[in-house]
Amino acid sequence: MKSIWKLLGKFLGFTAVVYGILFAVFYWDLDGKFMYYIWEPMMIKRFDNMKRADNTSIPYLQKDKVAPDEYTQIL
Amino acid sequence: MKLNDIKAKYRELFVVEKAPEDKNKPKDVKKAVKDFWYGKPHEERRLGDLYVGDTGLYKHREWRGVKDTMYYFNMVWLYNYAHMVTDIMKYGDGTPKSVVDFAKGVMRYRWMGQTYLTVMHWFDRGMEGMRGEAMRASAWHYRGMVSESIRQFQRMFVSDKKIHGGKEPETWKKNIAHNETVGGSFFYPFMDELEEVPLEMIPYFVSVHVNSHTVLNYIDAAQSIGLPSDPCPMCQAEYGLFVLDDYPDFAPAMVTSNEACDGSVATSVLQDWFLNRPLYALPQPMRYDDPLVQKHCQKEIENCWKFIEEQYGIKFDWDQYVKHAEAYNKLTEFEWEKWDVAANTPYYPISGVAQALYRIYYSQVGDRPIWHEMDEHVKRIMNKTVKNKIETFPKTRHRAIAWSCAPLYYSHWCTWAYNCWGINCVINMDSLMFDQYLRTDTYEHALEDLAWMNEKAPMRAMAVGGHEHILSLFDYMERFNCDMVIMYDQLQCKGMQGIHGVFEDEFRKRDIHAIWIPHALPEKRTVSRKEIRQIINDYMTTVMHEEPLDPTLVDFDDDKSW
Repeated sequence: MKSIWKLLGKFLGFTAVVYGILFAVFYWDLDGKFMYYIWEPMMIKRFDNMKRADNTSIPYLQKDKVAPDEYTQIL
Repeated sequence: MKLNDIKAKYRELFVVEKAPEDKNKPKDVKKAVKDFWYGKPHEERRLGDLYVGDTGLYKHREWRGVKDTMYYFNMVWLYNYAHMVTDIMKYGDGTPKSVVDFAKGVMRYRWMGQTYLTVMHWFDRGMEGMRGEAMRASAWHYRGMVSESIRQFQRMFVSDKKIHGGKEPETWKKNIAHNETVGGSFFYPFMDELEEVPLEMIPYFVSVHVNSHTVLNYIDAAQSIGLPSDPCPMCQAEYGLFVLDDYPDFAPAMVTSNEACDGSVATSVLQDWFLNRPLYALPQPMRYDDPLVQKHCQKEIENCWKFIEEQYGIKFDWDQYVKHAEAYNKLTEFEWEKWDVAANTPYYPISGVAQALYRIYYSQVGDRPIWHEMDEHVKRIMNKTVKNKIETFPKTRHRAIAWSCAPLYYSHWCTWAYNCWGINCVINMDSLMFDQYLRTDTYEHALEDLAWMNEKAPMRAMAVGGHEHILSLFDYMERFNCDMVIMYDQLQCKGMQGIHGVFEDEFRKRDIHAIWIPHALPEKRTVSRKEIRQIINDYMTTVMHEEPLDPTLVDFDDDKSW
């Protein structure tokens, strides 16, 4: 029985510490600061350097093969 | 880095300087305890001192008193972070693979990786200075929008060919993409077999509200291939996504629209080119009062259904339509209830920005379980405020109606305007769109109402739907008991620019206080947030001769904020 209380006490203590840390992150806006100063610049760098397909090279006329006339008629 | 630099950085990021008048004041312990417990009175909050330079970050988040701070921490911040994780699982394929797909989406798409992880700051901006029931009800609206956004991007990610090595995931064939202004209601007859996801809603529209940095890439990309820079930047951003190849390939067909203008017609043409797959254009008539236009619009909707049947090999299901249309009508009925409270009492618990964004979002998306869940929460809070006569925005000096299309990068201007000047934006034009009950007694009535709904889409009836609809502002102003108009002036909307002078004349004739807010929809470089605030400040001091409620909010820089 004593060990159950001890375990429960440890669990509550651990929860209280985690809760306290989360509150500190919230109150001091540490999530925002992390996103702004670390995450976002990292992502910008990644996306700026990403190789992308050149969609402008798709021939426009290909659409005629799949779009039946009836869908573009003015009734 | 030297010790002094570290100290300076620490001060910059975390230390709130005391107000000059407070520096030499003796300590008042009783007041300090009271402020700690209840939060500071509105006029003493000095919210502008909390900002870190021009970043929009907080040195620390606002202390709202014990009860409200703990509510915001537990039921807004923690609750939403936790539910984002569960939503990512729920709206994926229900397995841990959903998290992998989410991670792939974060690393593949700029609008995801750079934008949406900053979402809690969107809450902060929208709910700055708010207390009690207003904070609680508005936060539920935000929660609904976040959950629906996750549904949409998770569906895109689990079905996306691009993040699955070009392979076609099983769900790909069960999705239909559509333009963000094509209402979800048009897809009700197919809801049990087909998942509809607006293509630009998450990559473009919602992203600007959450993080205004990302969209600039798409606008610049559109112009980089020689397309003109003077059409609406919304259209530019929408096709810029395609130029940068930053859209997910999640569906075999697309239903597009003319949205509100010729610029958007061009978007559809470009999407037709880039998507290179079956595409049906479901137009929203520009002028719809003519009965012949009604018939034409109904025919277009029926053709859209025929298109879906042929492309997906599924059948129009009347029972599905009835089920979802009737559920959607419940949302409409509650919206009317909300308007009644907003119009006739000071007990309405929704902030201007929450009202505008939630209404436009759910009416655009159509019937989804999350909206019903959120409405239940809000209904409970609203019943309480009305029953107990709780004034939710007690510092209201002016009841404002906002008209025309809002600046997406500064949709939370009304939170600032209330905190700084006591301008309470009780209703806005976008909230009044899609105001259509959907009859389900006969097929003909259903079709007729859907056609009307299409004609009342965002930016349609009251923005470019003819002057008699645009000028309905004055009727709504009276109905909502407003004494001030915040008139959005979208500088690149040729439709609304054309009627600018008529409004000027009407405001003078009717002796109405109207503040014009110029902006360029998602493009924050044309008119900055600071410039918008300055225009309101100038009006409030030179015309209204009023003093700010919180002087620290009059002049501050947030150019680099999300």
